[in-house]
Amino acid sequence: MKCKKILVAVDASDNAMRAVHYTGEIVGDRPEFLIELLTIERLPARDLFPDEAAWKTACENTRAELRIFQDKAAFALQETGVPGQTITKRYITSCHSPLTGDATQCSPGTSIAQEILQEVKNGDFGTVVIGRRGVSKAEEFLFGSVSTKIIHYARGCAVWVVE
Amino acid sequence: MPTVRELTRQYMPEFPTRYCGTVYTDTTEFMDIGYGDVIAVGGYHYMVLKDECERRFGIEDPKFWVKRCRELETGERKILKLVFYEKFPIRIGSFTIQCHRSPGKEARILDLVGSDPRFMHGRSFEDVRGNNVRILDIVFGKRLDLIVQELEEDHPTYLRKTLPGILENYIGACEAIDFLHRNRETHGDIRRDHLWVEYETGQYRWIDFDYAFGFHENPFGLDMFGLGNILTFLVGKGDHNPADWPGHNLTTEDRSIVFGNRVTNLRRLFPDIPEPLNNVLMHFSAGTYVFYEGIEEMLQDLRPCVDLLRKC
Repeated sequence: MKCKKILVAVDASDNAMRAVHYTGEIVGDRPEFLIELLTIERLPARDLFPDEAAWKTACENTRAELRIFQDKAAFALQETGVPGQTITKRYITSCHSPLTGDATQCSPGTSIAQEILQEVKNGDFGTVVIGRRGVSKAEEFLFGSVSTKIIHYARGCAVWVVE
Repeated sequence: MPTVRELTRQYMPEFPTRYCGTVYTDTTEFMDIGYGDVIAVGGYHYMVLKDECERRFGIEDPKFWVKRCRELETGERKILKLVFYEKFPIRIGSFTIQCHRSPGKEARILDLVGSDPRFMHGRSFEDVRGNNVRILDIVFGKRLDLIVQELEEDHPTYLRKTLPGILENYIGACEAIDFLHRNRETHGDIRRDHLWVEYETGQYRWIDFDYAFGFHENPFGLDMFGLGNILTFLVGKGDHNPADWPGHNLTTEDRSIVFGNRVTNLRRLFPDIPEPLNNVLMHFSAGTYVFYEGIEEMLQDLRPCVDLLRKC
């Protein structure tokens, strides 16, 4: 297990930024650590919009927000002393996107948690970091919780849940 | 294009000519379309008889985008759902979530289910302006919850004699929703008044699939929650408020995970309920730490309960 190879899963939330800051504080300026910022794209569903144009605009906005967040997260890591060359960004676009892209891999949209764990396995990461907004049992039941699923299903890696 | 008078003369001669209105090929302004007007779409003509209403809390709430019609060429009664995009908050227990009405989603599910008897049937067309018009067959039946509510037998008799048959049919209804999920679709609005029992066949049939939500991590959670609510209602022969059962020492954990005013641990009220059946209900209680991750997982626990009830 390469525990110094860290995957930080981020969306564009405050929780994700807390996870980024925490990781930066822990790792600091040690160059032997490698950090990947991973975003699994989730776009608004087509069913929520009256027409293609409105849907496409919403998807463009969401993608822009996620991309900007990744840049901010990388910057935030560097501010805590993490060397820039040890940070990589990975953005997996949604397979159901109306936007064109040149990606060779896309997210099928089944479960963000499972997709994150697949990336952990594929990339041989020893640590996965995720932010969490404290959710009640009822919320978890109705809406699901990425962090709870990761805790439940993660194997062969450490999980840092930052609340 | 024929006028309404010409159409009624041919297909509906009993219709009073003084009420003959306009033929609409564009349904954008659905508020203007009313009694005596005809909607022409998909090669058929639909005489509008009234706007559909939803009766809630004793008040009739007209749904102007849903028209009760007669298909003139066949004489069959149909429901036409016209395009009405809206976004509105709905409350589920203490949560407020955004719900979207999606004609496209409902049309897609109508195509998916085709003539599957477990669902309402219909087809959809676009009018001349590209508006989706869903033409629905009417389900001739009655709401399952009303049937259960009107049963006069006491709970032990209901449990032994009636519930096994209901549960068997309800399992079939759950399998129908599982079929949607396996096709990456949700019902979206699983509640008691959306499950009907057909008069002629006794078949359980789901209606109304046009609600859409934006949940990513657990897109089927709301459907599962709805199925649990209906199951609890069926086993309890109604919903039960803890306040109506003083002396049973009901705790918070005995209540619904979402609705604090509903008892889920029904065995505390009706000790005859077999424990395995009550255990299924407990997955929807505030005391649970284990959630069903899919319908099939729940059904694996529920199917053996039918025989257990029959042996009660």
